[in-house]
Amino acid sequence: MELKYYIMRRILVLIPTVMGLTLLVFLLFNLVPEYMITAGLVSPHFQGAQRLQAIKIAEVVYGLTYANGQPIPIYLRYFLYLKDLLIGNWGFMTSNMFTGNVLTGIELYFPNTLQLTIFATIVTFIVSIPLGTYIGARPNSGADQVGRIFSLTGYAMPAFFLADALVIAFGKYLPIVGSISPLAHPPPWALSTGGSYLISTPTHMFVFDGLIHFFATGNMYDLQIAENALIHLILPVLTLTYGLLAGVLRYIRAGMVDSMNQEYVKTARSKGVLEKDVIKKHIRKNALIPTITVMGLLFASLLGGVVVVETVFLYPGIGLFAVNAALGGTAGQLQPQIYGVLGVTLVFGIILMLANLVVDVIYALIDPRIRY
Amino acid sequence: MESANISLGQKTDRRNPRLDSFKFTLKLFIKNKTAFVGLIIVVIYAIFTIMDFVYPQYLGTSNINTILSFTNGVGGPQPPITGYGWWRLLGTTGYNRIAIFPAMLAALKVDIPISFEVVIFGAVIGAIIGTASGFLGGYLDELVMRVTDVFFSVPFLIMAIAFVIVFRTTLPGLDPFILALVITWWPIYARVTRGLALTIKSQKFVEAAVAAGASRARNIFVHVLPNVLSPIFVQISLDLGTIVQIFATLFFLGFAAASPDTPELGNLMVQGINYFPTGDWWPLVVPGVFLVIFTIAVNLVGDGLRDVLDPRVRR
Repeated sequence: MELKYYIMRRILVLIPTVMGLTLLVFLLFNLVPEYMITAGLVSPHFQGAQRLQAIKIAEVVYGLTYANGQPIPIYLRYFLYLKDLLIGNWGFMTSNMFTGNVLTGIELYFPNTLQLTIFATIVTFIVSIPLGTYIGARPNSGADQVGRIFSLTGYAMPAFFLADALVIAFGKYLPIVGSISPLAHPPPWALSTGGSYLISTPTHMFVFDGLIHFFATGNMYDLQIAENALIHLILPVLTLTYGLLAGVLRYIRAGMVDSMNQEYVKTARSKGVLEKDVIKKHIRKNALIPTITVMGLLFASLLGGVVVVETVFLYPGIGLFAVNAALGGTAGQLQPQIYGVLGVTLVFGIILMLANLVVDVIYALIDPRIRY
Repeated sequence: MESANISLGQKTDRRNPRLDSFKFTLKLFIKNKTAFVGLIIVVIYAIFTIMDFVYPQYLGTSNINTILSFTNGVGGPQPPITGYGWWRLLGTTGYNRIAIFPAMLAALKVDIPISFEVVIFGAVIGAIIGTASGFLGGYLDELVMRVTDVFFSVPFLIMAIAFVIVFRTTLPGLDPFILALVITWWPIYARVTRGLALTIKSQKFVEAAVAAGASRARNIFVHVLPNVLSPIFVQISLDLGTIVQIFATLFFLGFAAASPDTPELGNLMVQGINYFPTGDWWPLVVPGVFLVIFTIAVNLVGDGLRDVLDPRVRR
């Protein structure tokens, strides 16, 4: 019962933050020159004189001016902007990845980013918990020093440098370029977006879609595509994992060392519990609790890393989508698409807030002492 | 007359407690071997940053503000050590044969001052806002915390990209980068100082100051702010490397359209990536390692500072 109120209160606190984020994005819209605003108001299908006409109408529809051409005051425009956000008018953009409404583009590419983060998180958990336990149980040993250096380099290395280094080191051993490429022989369930990328249906995540279609139709080619997509994920996931591990290991180690000196550990040892069980059941369990609190922070660094990793590997997620929009398509031929960048900023903000909410709720579930 | 002399003598004899405390801190810091090594590396980087007067005379050019000053003829990339002259010690890139070593040193002249600017502006703004919000409390505190929540709700890199895109339309050169990073960075310092200000506020000496009739401004600037300085210094030293990294990343992502040949570590690495497919690793790896060493060294200093300033260790 108490937990329900805690969650409700936590969601209520979220509302001013979301409003603040939209306010910040709205203020940024008001700092750019007018041509960047009008460029995204109408679909790129309108050209020439027709476009000017369409922009005039769109300015009224988007709530920038009154019907008679008089500008609307800024405080009213903010509420009109909120209305636009809610009904899905996120503006239009043109880039080599996507052309059309920003929200549609984010919906198309976001699942790919989700796929990447899911795999990176899973691999991080699988690797970090045993490794952190091993290191944490032996503080100041050789393994601990190695782990410390590993953490430090992971923290100090820019993601794009690490990604490129991984490509040199392992790129040639992975069958990334091959005959079973979804691009060379697109399966019927992959749709072209008009750009140079394919979007699979129904979940937009190639690995899962390949498996779904394989189980539905039994076509071996679908399974091969899923496998191929998985191989393409190896290096991006490794890059993200290295950066995450640096943080997670440090926290697990600190937690282990902290809980090792507690009274209940002494009790467990003195009543003759096996050392293996003391570490697993008494020390590690309690060491993981503080680690969960920093998962929100780590998730933020993961989302930041996604932008770089997607750019290095040309992985079609919303990170690459944002960078493409920000740079205005290929070789700067197009204008920067302010709507694309700020749309992605908003989406990243909301995802991170939800992630933090989930982390807080999990923390409250695990540790009954926590009630704010 | 005599008594005046005695009191004067006593004054000069009296030892300065702050200086003593500083000497003690220094002694503890030097005892911490890894932190001391980090400090030495940082000092070497600082010397590299300052000594720009060395290389122009070797290269026959005086404008070190562009990467193209470090070109040495044309041809393929030269591997490290094989080239003639110290400036080719770490190899050259292909095409223009930009000598990597002096270009890296010139890059420090761009990177490190920017990193310092961002951190110091961020720390000053954040510390003042955070201290005021923690000390005064009430609606101001609530407002500041909600604002920092907004800033923390977006990953730093995305936030910086959004600000760079917006500021680039009106500001020239590297200014939009600095401004964008300062705006994304101050909330960290605001959070750190606010938490500390809350604990300091309830201590006896602040209560005494309030009882003696000190104004709010005096309390904030004279009593609370000096006591939050040391954690801020730790945070600054940890952030210096991160900012150089983020700056390099922004260059890598292609936001350098205004200044494509700025000598900057990220820019050098971006040029290096082009030589990868042919197996020439040094144009990317040498500047990369140079950057990683700086970040690690700065982090070691930060960790050392944290240990030294920790009252539990000092005793």
